Amino acid sequence: MRRRSCWIWDVRRCDAVARLPRIGLLIPLACLVLGIGSGCSGLNLYDMRSVEEQPLTASAALGQTDSRRDASLRLVIAGLDDDAMGRPDRAIASYQRAVRVDATNPFAYLALARHHLEAGGSNEAGPFLDQARALFESEQRLGPAVDVWGVGLRAWIDREDGRDDLADERFEIARELSPEIWADERLSADELR
Amino acid sequence: MARAKGKKSAKKRTTKRKRGSSGESESLSPALLRARRVGLVVVVLAFGAGLWVAGWLLELDRIVVSRFEGRRFSVPSRVYAAPIVIYPGADWQRLDLAGWLTRMGYREQAEAGPLSVGSYRWLPGRLRVHLRGFDHPQLPEDDRKVEFRLEEGRVREIRDNRGAFVDVVALEPEPISSFFGSDREQRDLVEIEHVPDHLVAAIYAVEDRRFEEHHGIDPRRIVGAMLANLRAGGIRQGGSTLTQQLVKNFFLTPERTLRRKVTEAVMALTVEARYTKSQILEAYLNEIYMGRRGSTAIHGVGEASRFFFGKRVVDLALDESALLAAVIQSPNAMSPHRHSERARNRRNLVLDLMAAQGRVSPEEAETARARRISLASIALESGQDRYFLDELARQLPEVYDEDLLSVEGLRIYSTLDPMIQRAAVRALHDGLEGLEKRLAGSSKVETSEAEEQPPLQGCLLAMRPQTGEILAMVGGRDYATSQWNRCTLARRQVGSVFKPIVYAAALSPQSGPVVTLASSVPDEPLQVETRDGLWEPVNYDKEFRGPVLVRDALERSLNVPAARIGQAVGIGKVVEMARRLGIESGLPAVPSLALGTAEVSPLEIATVYSTFANGGLRPTPRSFIGLLDDRGVGQEQWPLEGSRRVLDPGTAFLTTSLLEGVVDRGTGVGIRARGLRGPIAGKTGTTDDEYDLWFVGFTPEIVAVVWLGYDEPRQIGVPSSRGALPIWADFLSEVTGERVRGVFARPAGVERIEIDPTSGARAMAGCPERRPEYFLEGTAPKLTCPRGATSRAGFFERLFGS
Repeated sequence: MRRRSCWIWDVRRCDAVARLPRIGLLIPLACLVLGIGSGCSGLNLYDMRSVEEQPLTASAALGQTDSRRDASLRLVIAGLDDDAMGRPDRAIASYQRAVRVDATNPFAYLALARHHLEAGGSNEAGPFLDQARALFESEQRLGPAVDVWGVGLRAWIDREDGRDDLADERFEIARELSPEIWADERLSADELR
Repeated sequence: MARAKGKKSAKKRTTKRKRGSSGESESLSPALLRARRVGLVVVVLAFGAGLWVAGWLLELDRIVVSRFEGRRFSVPSRVYAAPIVIYPGADWQRLDLAGWLTRMGYREQAEAGPLSVGSYRWLPGRLRVHLRGFDHPQLPEDDRKVEFRLEEGRVREIRDNRGAFVDVVALEPEPISSFFGSDREQRDLVEIEHVPDHLVAAIYAVEDRRFEEHHGIDPRRIVGAMLANLRAGGIRQGGSTLTQQLVKNFFLTPERTLRRKVTEAVMALTVEARYTKSQILEAYLNEIYMGRRGSTAIHGVGEASRFFFGKRVVDLALDESALLAAVIQSPNAMSPHRHSERARNRRNLVLDLMAAQGRVSPEEAETARARRISLASIALESGQDRYFLDELARQLPEVYDEDLLSVEGLRIYSTLDPMIQRAAVRALHDGLEGLEKRLAGSSKVETSEAEEQPPLQGCLLAMRPQTGEILAMVGGRDYATSQWNRCTLARRQVGSVFKPIVYAAALSPQSGPVVTLASSVPDEPLQVETRDGLWEPVNYDKEFRGPVLVRDALERSLNVPAARIGQAVGIGKVVEMARRLGIESGLPAVPSLALGTAEVSPLEIATVYSTFANGGLRPTPRSFIGLLDDRGVGQEQWPLEGSRRVLDPGTAFLTTSLLEGVVDRGTGVGIRARGLRGPIAGKTGTTDDEYDLWFVGFTPEIVAVVWLGYDEPRQIGVPSSRGALPIWADFLSEVTGERVRGVFARPAGVERIEIDPTSGARAMAGCPERRPEYFLEGTAPKLTCPRGATSRAGFFERLFGS
């Protein structure tokens, strides 16, 4: 009986699973969770959890991947510091070096998008934002913690380009995700840092 | 009235004197007359000569002024690679940190004591370096001391000289090459304020001790030299001052004639009259010839300082300054690289002279004498980098033309990655050599005939898909024999490398989509009416396989299914897709386009595949990021540009997935056979009669194109999988190691469903075979295996999401 139940787990763990004393309780519990999950699959859980998650800043992303990503993130952070201190050339160079170290680091492109938006370059910002989104997606990290940047920056681009209706709508979502960050409809370097 | 009278009487007196004079001449002897005439001629000639000399002096002055007040030196613009960034966790051996130290002329300092700028010291598990500062268009760095703590091939941590942790260190960009003029002179201009006093003192001591006192020529020195030469019975000593040496190098030829010496002396006086000692000395220090590096002449103490010691002039020590001064007299005979003993003796002589003249203390001279000569290694530039330079020059704005680049001393900061470039050079070179040996072994062509034929050529180009930065470019086998850049200028048939464009067009929602990855396509004889007659494509092996799934068709690079898909989607749509993905060359809107009959450059193909690798975002190829003038002032910047979306992420992913299959199971499986693991996608391409061999492949972080062929197209004799693919694999293996980083992740809007690999139907319980396949949402097969089984996918998809 125990052996047969193991196939749904990793086979290598079968013996360990078999040794669990309360396996009889765990299986019905798992079924209950599955039942609730399937029943709730029609609900928009995304909106419900969004406000619970903290925005994933460049600093918070440190230590989550590998040393290359960390080095790249540190360069992004250095660039954000330069941006905050009004040294845009140095900031751009740091972002470029961040891309050089790890071209798949989405924060480098987010920082570039923010940098260009602050300088009034919505045309330049758009493609970087697309790139950041594609990379977050390829890392399967899309979710409220990073959407807070994407939605807000997209709204900022809309505002710059005169698409105010769209900008209002997106800023509203961004403010739901993080009222503190998007209250002023701007993303400062420190906030992304 | 009185004044008028006076004038009249004066006129009369003059007239009388003239008459009297005329009367005298009549009475003069012919000899006297002749003498007077000669005297007159002499006066006229002297006046004429005076005029000529004045004109000559003015001309010399004009020459001096125009040279001194215009651009004094032609300084070739130098191109730098992108900086290497070192960080904790980095593989320092792969990044070739030790090689970088050597190439950049850093000196190993074995003796204890503080490291001087541009030197390093190996200790157990540690590397201490005193990094030089460097200019950069956006982020210059000051010099600093760092310690790399190393462990098992990786950098464990980095600390500064106070022991604080350092996150990242950007190393000084390597100079790749320069845009030389016809004279191939290299110099690094220095300003007099940055020249250490002991270097000036050393040069004064040995070359012109009274420089500060004389006015361009030094009579005492000339007499002294003459006496010395008389005693020696030949020319042993020169009498030229620094000003004369400068004049000779600046304006005159090296011939030894009296006329040249006089001109030199006059010009030296002119220079001294017009300019300050400080200006003259600065010009001298930047002009003086100091030796050769390969085919390049080293001029000036700035370049010489880097060449000999790997450091800036301002960082020179006394013994190094003395050595530079020692070399000036005869740079080749005193070259410390070739004649170290001779150079050391002369250096010591310079130090003795300095002490004797009171320019340094005897103790200082003695300490400097005791130091052994420690030279930086000589890094000769690789000719193969010139292909990249040519492309960079082509991409620069028009104002930076060839003439300007060869004289203005610009510093151009490029995207080239030195490590990746070296890997590309090596892989292409070794691959072509190996292939030719194999071909020669199996060839039926007579050896003598084969030797007469031009060699097999190739190109290897690497690009970063997210930014379009060109990381490596080798446009041919040997730049010295052929400067034709096959990566950018050649247009060659692409063959099957074009097929993914056809598949992308067919998979794209914009076209319907026409097919899914599980669609079945007949691999059966096909006839298409064209303007030129009936077109009947066949497969590489001339076989037909009946119905095949789309994925299998591309993995096996089957021509007939590709042609059918091209027909189904429409050649117009295929052309449109190719344009969107980055192909600018002419594309014939004919059915055979689907099989790659178009002629396209490797750079365009790299852009297309970068777009797939980058999830449908197309980068713009770029080879430079900024430019400084010769004083280090920023002139231009080309910051990163974002990529533009030209393809939806779903279609880009499906195409990438197909190309991963090519590497995992199809014609590109040789990549895996060579031990490379991780996310790799790619496509082979062999044109009709094996005239062109391609392999284009990518990982999430790099795209590389290899093309092989003859400049005058003819058969190579092997397919791409045995020609271009091994070179690509060797290249990638060196760049990334055997384990490739990253993942080709499935974007939203793409679902993964089990299918029956034979029919392409959705695999349900009871289906004998199954494999996972990807579909754009809503395009998964409706048919099931076994036929009639009920699909429950909707339930599970809702449960787990997609």
